Amino acid sequence: MPQIEIENLSKTFKVPEREAGLAAALRSVFRRKYKEVAAVDRVNFAVEQAEIVGFLGPNGAGKTTTLKMLSGLLHPTAGVARVMGHTPWKREAAYLRRISMLMGQRSQMQWDLPAIDSFFVHAAVYGIPKDDYKTTLDELVELLDIGGILKKQVRTLSLGERMKCEICVSLLHRPAVLFLDEPTIGVDITMQARIRKFIGEYNRKHGATIILTSHYMADVTALCKRIIVIDHGHILFDGQLGELSGRLAPFKVIKIDLDRELDGYDFASIGEVLLKEARKVEVRVPRDRAPAVAEKLLSDLPVQDLTIEDPPIENVIAMAFGGKAGAPPSAAEPAAEAARA
Amino acid sequence: MRQLARSFTAFLKTGIGVMLQYRGEIVLWSVWGLVNPLVLYAVFKAGAQSNPDQQIAGLSIGEVAAYFFTIMIIGHLSAAWDTHEMGWYVRTGRMSPLLLRPIMPIWKSLADNLSYKVCTLVFVGPMWIFFALLIRPTFDTAAWQVALGLVATLLAIVLSYTFNYAVALIAFWATKLDAVGEIYFGLVMFLGGRFAPLPAMPGKIRWIAEALPFQYMAYFPTWIFMGKVHTRSEVFLGLAAQLAWIAVSILVLRLMWAAAVKRYTAVSG
Repeated sequence: MPQIEIENLSKTFKVPEREAGLAAALRSVFRRKYKEVAAVDRVNFAVEQAEIVGFLGPNGAGKTTTLKMLSGLLHPTAGVARVMGHTPWKREAAYLRRISMLMGQRSQMQWDLPAIDSFFVHAAVYGIPKDDYKTTLDELVELLDIGGILKKQVRTLSLGERMKCEICVSLLHRPAVLFLDEPTIGVDITMQARIRKFIGEYNRKHGATIILTSHYMADVTALCKRIIVIDHGHILFDGQLGELSGRLAPFKVIKIDLDRELDGYDFASIGEVLLKEARKVEVRVPRDRAPAVAEKLLSDLPVQDLTIEDPPIENVIAMAFGGKAGAPPSAAEPAAEAARA
Repeated sequence: MRQLARSFTAFLKTGIGVMLQYRGEIVLWSVWGLVNPLVLYAVFKAGAQSNPDQQIAGLSIGEVAAYFFTIMIIGHLSAAWDTHEMGWYVRTGRMSPLLLRPIMPIWKSLADNLSYKVCTLVFVGPMWIFFALLIRPTFDTAAWQVALGLVATLLAIVLSYTFNYAVALIAFWATKLDAVGEIYFGLVMFLGGRFAPLPAMPGKIRWIAEALPFQYMAYFPTWIFMGKVHTRSEVFLGLAAQLAWIAVSILVLRLMWAAAVKRYTAVSG
């Protein structure tokens, strides 16, 4: 049975809207215009226990709104969600004790106090037995390497240090379900890698179910086998990371290194030429024709090396969001752009 | 319940910790709490001195001193300011981390409120003594009035806090609550007898003040401590009114809270 199930989950916001300038501001005093924005529109998915799912989409796609509904912060406009058998927005204490939502841009620490004080409050609020608290804290402090900053006032910590403390406080009660919204935002590459490794270890060790949003593809590729791509509140893709290119970009890129320079070979007849240098050529071909084209190239040309690659995942996703949201997998144009990118 | 007590104690400890980070602010708030009653005492004293019987609204100069001295202390103990802060919490999304916890945010707010009072007592205590020596209040109070005055003070603290929090929840609908906070503060000060004792108010305003709960947030216990509520039945009637207003506040607060979390939009994070 899935640990997270959502059916037709929708959230519409009513937002005030007006033109720029003082005159429009004055008009809005008497006649305010509102616009209905469907942040999440009939979204369905299920997540099994211990799964890590990457939840991807551009800004305003509906990722954070979905996570906020799943964590009980927002009531949906329509739809159903069950997480570990609970309806999140009923906000039962028993549910809130078993989840954690880490918002990279929103601190849950006491700003004016040392980090250790926030941990102490968290332990009390979540009813963590004192011995368990000590054991878990010691473990997290070691894994996150934050022993040296526990007594520092939170507002004096660097962003990376604070993020590690935020992760620590989010995991002190050992949540079974974790909603991570941009957990590595603003931190340097080394720290991103450490946080990623830590999240992966937490998942393996405790069997925690994790939904992760991130704008850093490295987070997603390192942690998630499965991804859900959302844009304008609609799910564009839900499947294994490896299937993403096949579904959203039905092309492959064949890269060839030649033994020697060639003149006169008509690469354009086999596909779209993306790169042509003296001894290096890249050709985009339809996915189903890639093996046959590769075979022909190997037989026709003095090939030193040949690889068949999917377009980079970042580009596939970027192209999928490039105004082609909802396009069926066969839609050639975004895929072609992705392959070219 | 044990869980709630543990959480509340932790909130209280960290609340005091936060207060102690800003020692200067504690002193300034303490001084601010002294200025208002001192000025009003001076005004009423001048009014009494200008009358042939040296009284104002039936109070002698010593009783005027007792009134402003007592209401200063009870006003400090029953102060609540969620109407000034809730809008910011909702508007900026700072409410979100509090809503993710398995405990209602009101408990943290209440602990912060008490932390402020515990910390400021260190400074306001000596100031109150100084104030008393300066103005020499006159009390005519029986022991039973002191005892019931303490009960009324406790109920005044609860009423002031719950009523203020219920009003503060308007922030979930209005988003920006600064003006509401100021109006509420004005009503507490004026209709709650902080600017003038109720007998000094003009007829209709006094009638309004007596019909509303604000008088029970400081004025009523002050009046008991002054020995001006003469019979036990009058006191018990007032205590019953306090309890009734507390019940109404808690009911409204709970209903509003249930509706508020449904419409929370968790903006800015």
